[in-house]
Amino acid sequence: MPNIVEIAVSDDRFSTLVTAVQVAGLVEALQSPGPFTVFAPLNSAFEKLPPGTITSLVQNPPQLGRILTYHVVSGKYTKADLEKLSEVTSLEGTTIRLNFKKNEVKNATAVLTDIEATNGIIHVIDNVILMGP
Amino acid sequence: MTQTLEAPKTKIPPSTHPLAEIIHRLEAGGTMLPDTPENLMQIIGLYKAYAVPMDFYWRDLLYIAEQVFLNPLPWNKYLISDEYLDRENKYSGDNADLRIWRGCGDAHPELREFMAQGELKKDLPTILHHLWHDRINMEFAEECMRSMLWHRDMYKPWNQFDGFLDTDEYKQNCDRAINAYFKGNPVMLGLYKLFPDMFYEQCRQMSYYSNLGLFWEVMAPVFFEMSDLYDEGKMTSVPAAMDFLVNGIFAIAGRPIYHHVYIKGECFEIIPKSKGFTWLYEAALPYVEAVFYRTAPFRGTKSYNAQAGQVPDAQPDFHYGVLYADKFPVGTAGIPPTFLAQDMLHFLPDYLVEYYKQHCRGEGDTIVQLAVSFQRSMYCVTSAVIQALRAALLYPLDDEDPDHLMANRQFFEAQMDRFLRPEARIRDIQNQEYR
Repeated sequence: MPNIVEIAVSDDRFSTLVTAVQVAGLVEALQSPGPFTVFAPLNSAFEKLPPGTITSLVQNPPQLGRILTYHVVSGKYTKADLEKLSEVTSLEGTTIRLNFKKNEVKNATAVLTDIEATNGIIHVIDNVILMGP
Repeated sequence: MTQTLEAPKTKIPPSTHPLAEIIHRLEAGGTMLPDTPENLMQIIGLYKAYAVPMDFYWRDLLYIAEQVFLNPLPWNKYLISDEYLDRENKYSGDNADLRIWRGCGDAHPELREFMAQGELKKDLPTILHHLWHDRINMEFAEECMRSMLWHRDMYKPWNQFDGFLDTDEYKQNCDRAINAYFKGNPVMLGLYKLFPDMFYEQCRQMSYYSNLGLFWEVMAPVFFEMSDLYDEGKMTSVPAAMDFLVNGIFAIAGRPIYHHVYIKGECFEIIPKSKGFTWLYEAALPYVEAVFYRTAPFRGTKSYNAQAGQVPDAQPDFHYGVLYADKFPVGTAGIPPTFLAQDMLHFLPDYLVEYYKQHCRGEGDTIVQLAVSFQRSMYCVTSAVIQALRAALLYPLDDEDPDHLMANRQFFEAQMDRFLRPEARIRDIQNQEYR
């Protein structure tokens, strides 16, 4: 079974995410044993951000890394696990609001759930989520 | 003139909030300020008048944070070096990281002209303009910085800046810089040994100089560009102005906030960029909260009796910022925002100079009228912040799900709750005759 990074690299719908993870220097961390739960935004999610946002983040890897680690949770949480929770704590340090009975991760929707990897699990989301209440 | 509103085209019942009309306007993609050509002219004119002194504020804030640092007698801190006047703004000019304003990257030509000639309109040595107080009023910028410092811990835990200022890592970084800065000065190093916390607190203040400087470095080109677009006829409504601000907020949200100090040519990273601190979370949101909402009672406006409960017990309840300010006394001496009003007076576009002559006491109270226009313009900026937070954390305004629309509604209502207190000027700005 492939790990989280290998799954993302093999799917064209995550090419922006893969580039961002590489720029932020998080590839090695996401290849470690973990386990992690990753809320992985599709390319179309990044395209919804206003012009300039990605450029500015790519110029500043630590800041980009902070946004990306907000999409990662320590531990392996399946859809069934997440349905029982109202929030989880991200690796960035702040919490992510959940309403997984409606497949909602903050203001994003999980369009595909429970993609198993050797070091965790991926849920695919349609928006980039941002820190905040 | 107040704006007539259509019934909201939403799938949820109308709000019953006392400020429901404004909430419905926000839900329709509008701003707290009614969309009228007069309001648009006022806010854009003020953005332009604000951006020129702001171009000095951010340069001097960084000059103080990076070069003056802990100088115990900083008499020359407002006498900015040529290096900082020539410094390329990261968001304007040919070498910009992300070009927001089409203009130059170094100090604005109108700023340079004012610094050379001042109100006196005479080419005198800078020191004479300075001693005559014929200069940009940096005291206003420092007041804003102190407000952020005093109201620390806003937007915790999303704002991680303040937490870092209390860590051992921060103190170790300060320690290196302090020892290098006062090398060969046994008196100051002795004082540092005796009272280290006093020195750390001064460093924290310097870190806030840097924070605010980096914040305003972005806002100056944003306002210049809005003014240019308006002059070209390409910015035609108040919501369009707000949308430009919202896009700007997202575009530079990830700009690093850091504090570097240069001592004898060596860079000391007191807050390194690698901490991941960002413009939105560590500068913009705390700035809006501290300066637009909270600040502190200004001496000279009125007397407060804290023992009689006239000043709130809790800092989050403070309400002395620009959104609540009585602009009439602000037009008089001794009050920090008057410094800003006087700075803006020097750079008003011609159309606003003419406009203010037509109302009230004409030229005589231009400074009060422009302060009211400034208040309107800051209600537009605050609207942009509210809409940006809604977009970032909640749902699109045209979302199909009534639960999502209700979440947006609750967010807008919570924001409007802050304007229910009588000091808020939100009701005043609905009326064009408020000037």
